[in-house]
Amino acid sequence: MHSEVKKIFIADDDPDILDILSIMLETQGYTVIKSDKANNIFEYSKGELPDLILLDIWMAGLDGREICEKLKRNELTKDIPVIFISANSSIEEITKEYNANGFISKPFEMSYLLDIIHDNLLAC
Amino acid sequence: METIKTNKELISQVEYLQSQLIEAHEIIDAIRGGEVDAFIIKNEDKNELYTLKSADKAYRIFIEKMNDGALTINKDGIILYSNSSFADLIDIPLVNITGFLFLNFIPDAYKNVVKELIETAWQEEESKAEIILPGKDNNVVPVLLSMNTFEIDGGIALSVIATDISLQKETLKQKKEMDKKDEFISIASHELKTPVTSIKGYVQILRFNFQKEGNIAAAELLNKVDNQVNKLTTLISDLLDVKKIENGQLQYHEDVFDFNELVNEILEETGHVLNKRYFDVQLAQTKLIYGDRNKIGQVITNLIDNAGKYSPSNTTICVNTIIEGNNIKFSVQDFGIGIPKGQQIKIFDRFFRVNGEKENTYSGLGLGLYISAEIIKRHKGLIGVESKENEGSTFYFELPFTN
Repeated sequence: MHSEVKKIFIADDDPDILDILSIMLETQGYTVIKSDKANNIFEYSKGELPDLILLDIWMAGLDGREICEKLKRNELTKDIPVIFISANSSIEEITKEYNANGFISKPFEMSYLLDIIHDNLLAC
Repeated sequence: METIKTNKELISQVEYLQSQLIEAHEIIDAIRGGEVDAFIIKNEDKNELYTLKSADKAYRIFIEKMNDGALTINKDGIILYSNSSFADLIDIPLVNITGFLFLNFIPDAYKNVVKELIETAWQEEESKAEIILPGKDNNVVPVLLSMNTFEIDGGIALSVIATDISLQKETLKQKKEMDKKDEFISIASHELKTPVTSIKGYVQILRFNFQKEGNIAAAELLNKVDNQVNKLTTLISDLLDVKKIENGQLQYHEDVFDFNELVNEILEETGHVLNKRYFDVQLAQTKLIYGDRNKIGQVITNLIDNAGKYSPSNTTICVNTIIEGNNIKFSVQDFGIGIPKGQQIKIFDRFFRVNGEKENTYSGLGLGLYISAEIIKRHKGLIGVESKENEGSTFYFELPFTN
């Protein structure tokens, strides 16, 4: 069974940014799963998996690039779009190198966030 | 009678001796001043020539012309020879140096250091140390003393080279200050971006909600906050870019792109931020450029923003491109305050801002043009300005296009 409401998983270690992203996405009717670390994403079973993942690159003690690599290698998760979100100015190169599906530079425009998520959900 | 005669004799004898003494003094001064190459002693049957080997002419000119102070001192520590650079360095006339103890010219605080230095040189043939000497106008000069033993006139002497290292010290100090500034920039940029992201995020959520409720006035105010946050973001990015330029870490992602398309895109973006300026846009036939589209876009944005910033409301900003040979020349002309001639050359320097009575009324860190110049340089292009004070400025760049 495929639900119409899209689920978006957000991993960022800054609580305010987590808050902002989920408020913005909820206005568009998305279901949001918040996490201050992305490790628990691998605990989901097939039916519960998110439709899209927003991933911070630098989280306290965690590397978003490694998580993206793991996601893309895993049969179960490799087709879920991963969007990097970071203040790192090399974000464009990192996105290419780790085969992520897109990136959002901090600070970001709400309209850009919604567009990139919309486009990536359509594509999959 | 006899006494008077003796008196006369004595007077003439004193005069004779005095003139001899003056002559002797002059000779000593000439030797000390390095003006004597050789003595010719008149003997009854033949003249004898005594050359001063240590003052061999070719070497003396060489040593005299060098910027470092150069001395020779003997076993007793007496200065046998000094060039005029050393005299200049310590601001004492040459005639008061040659023939005197070297230690006389060393301040008390460094006497022991220099004594040790001389001892080491005699024992180990060479030695080096940095000391501070009193210089001109009550200033002090940091000096590197290098000593070496060498054979001279069948004996052994010590050569002393005194190198003024104040410039070196100053450069090192400046470099350290620059490094500190860069480290600060990097940390500050990263730390500033996080709260700015939060501010911008909450502002946009509020704006979205007000818009939904139909409170256009409140949404408009938040739009202004958002614009200010964007300005702050640009400043932070500029600081980060400068840091990368200094470290050679600014990365370029080159590809072929359509130049006019980029210009039009930026005019659309900047047009609504720069209100009350009329754009007169005349673009030549478009060309393909091989380069980093984002970064060249950053340069175009910077030039247009500056034109708006330094020109009054209700004036025109002309945006032109022309084709010159294999280059496309892009220019932005404003009719604003202009740049004084003397400052035009420095306008692309880091942290430079135009000086003038009105300087404080213009915001900015003075990094935009520095970054722009760096980007254009990396694309094998040319950037420049033509300007007249109180009439306006034309900033331009030229880039080679591809076919």
